[in-house]
Amino acid sequence: MTGLMTADLTLDRACRSFGTYHAVTDVSLTFAAGEMTCIIGPNGAGKSTLLNLMCGTLPLSSGRITLGGMSIDGMSRDRIARLGIARKFQVPTVFESLSITENLRVAAGKAADADWLAGVLAMVNLTADAGLRAGTLPHGKKQWLEIGMALAMRPRILLLDEPTAGLSVDETLATANLLRGLQGRVSVIVIEHDMGFVRELGARTVVLHHGRIIAAGPFSAIEQDDTVRDIYLGRR
Amino acid sequence: MKHLTALRPATKIALAVMAALALLPFVSEDYVLSNWRDVMLLALFALSLDLFWGRTGILSFGHATFFGLGAYGMAITTTRFGIDPAWASLAGLGMGVGLATVVAALVGYFMIYGGVRGAYFTIVTLAMTIVAHNVAVGWSSVTGGDSGLIGVAPFQVPGVIFASPVQSFALVLTVLALCLSGALRMMNGRAGLVLAAIRDSEIKAETLGYRTSLILLATFVASAAMAALAGALYATGTGFVAPDMIALLLSTEVIIWVAVGGSGSLIGAVIGTVVVWHLQQKVSSVSIAAWPIAIGSFFILLVLVFPKGLPDFVMTQFRRARPGQGGGK
Repeated sequence: MTGLMTADLTLDRACRSFGTYHAVTDVSLTFAAGEMTCIIGPNGAGKSTLLNLMCGTLPLSSGRITLGGMSIDGMSRDRIARLGIARKFQVPTVFESLSITENLRVAAGKAADADWLAGVLAMVNLTADAGLRAGTLPHGKKQWLEIGMALAMRPRILLLDEPTAGLSVDETLATANLLRGLQGRVSVIVIEHDMGFVRELGARTVVLHHGRIIAAGPFSAIEQDDTVRDIYLGRR
Repeated sequence: MKHLTALRPATKIALAVMAALALLPFVSEDYVLSNWRDVMLLALFALSLDLFWGRTGILSFGHATFFGLGAYGMAITTTRFGIDPAWASLAGLGMGVGLATVVAALVGYFMIYGGVRGAYFTIVTLAMTIVAHNVAVGWSSVTGGDSGLIGVAPFQVPGVIFASPVQSFALVLTVLALCLSGALRMMNGRAGLVLAAIRDSEIKAETLGYRTSLILLATFVASAAMAALAGALYATGTGFVAPDMIALLLSTEVIIWVAVGGSGSLIGAVIGTVVVWHLQQKVSSVSIAAWPIAIGSFFILLVLVFPKGLPDFVMTQFRRARPGQGGGK
């Protein structure tokens, strides 16, 4: 995975409102190349909106979003993807009528070579299932296939929306291992609910509440933060 | 094409069908051969629809427009402008295919980039065919109105006139074989894979970096151009054009040909056309009125009972009937 190590994704006072509802307010964040970030927060905190801003599904209401210094606000989804931002949807979205290998081939695009695809298959543990139709896979394997598709694109930035939703404990741990293995090669941005998983990742963690950042730092520090415990962890 | 082993039987069947057709001139009389020439052109027309519908899952009711534009483009160009006969057919072909390409690109651009998909696409293309039909009937100074245009010359290029039934049959067989092999190659390769991906989830394909609207539009235009090619050659075979070549019934019929053969396989479109055309001869010889009724009933069944086409329906029933094969019931 190459990617320009100098490139990073930056949000500068990003705001997004729907009518009078402010889903994301004044969010400023920098995602350095190769770094992992977890974004957590209770339901309605604006996590998904934030993710949608970063992958071109929603334009900003105000503020700036740049990739390697270039504004990507309002760019089409496909253009943003070609710039190297890969996205895994919350509900696993794969091409159901295609085989696993074909899914990866489509994801890798013209640059697909057999060695690379075999490597991705092994990384997401699907080598044995390579010929199966994606629609026949159980939920957990679909999640992994979608992560594999994102990786097959050789992205600079990998956006993951609840990658462990519906996974068993073992699968969740394995996913954490997989993502940790990507550190230093891809910027990984994970939106999650599952505190166990976030703890396992042990990455920089950003807490959103009512669309604003209320805390940011290493997970160990976030875990000890009283405000965060009150509004979020305490409720669990 | 090792990765798409599932499609290889279709290629084998295609080769067998083409070989069988190539033997016809040795065993058939001229009249039969002319009929087969027309059937092959209708099969090419069905192939063009399958190229779009079968691969994108979006049903077009507008393909008779493109077939008709091809036919009328050929007829008007060759009969009205006094072009040197040696070049007239090629000019007519260019005009017919060109017109269809422009119309498909314009209509397709506004629909596809406007986010029109699924049933809405079907309805808009249906309206397009009605408009085209009314133009063909109403603009009689150019199109000949209800009676159409007669006197379209057999297809010719400088030096060769495809006048005899064997010659025109050979020409059409060659065109069909080239289009079929080209379409199969494309669909067995990357393009087919990407189109199948877009059919499964367009938004996912977009987030992987594909310009999905552009890809769909290009497929639509290529499909329209192929329909027009069939229409233009059809006019040179029959020698005339009439408004029923650009009508809703023809759009419906071509959908049925493809559905009978199973959409998406490409060769199925060709086989479906041949089967339905022969059925039509049988039914119409009993009663002329019976055919529209039969085809209408079949269309209702198609929508309600086997939306994925006849072969898929038969295979599903077959699997259900065999215990232990996992039909789900």
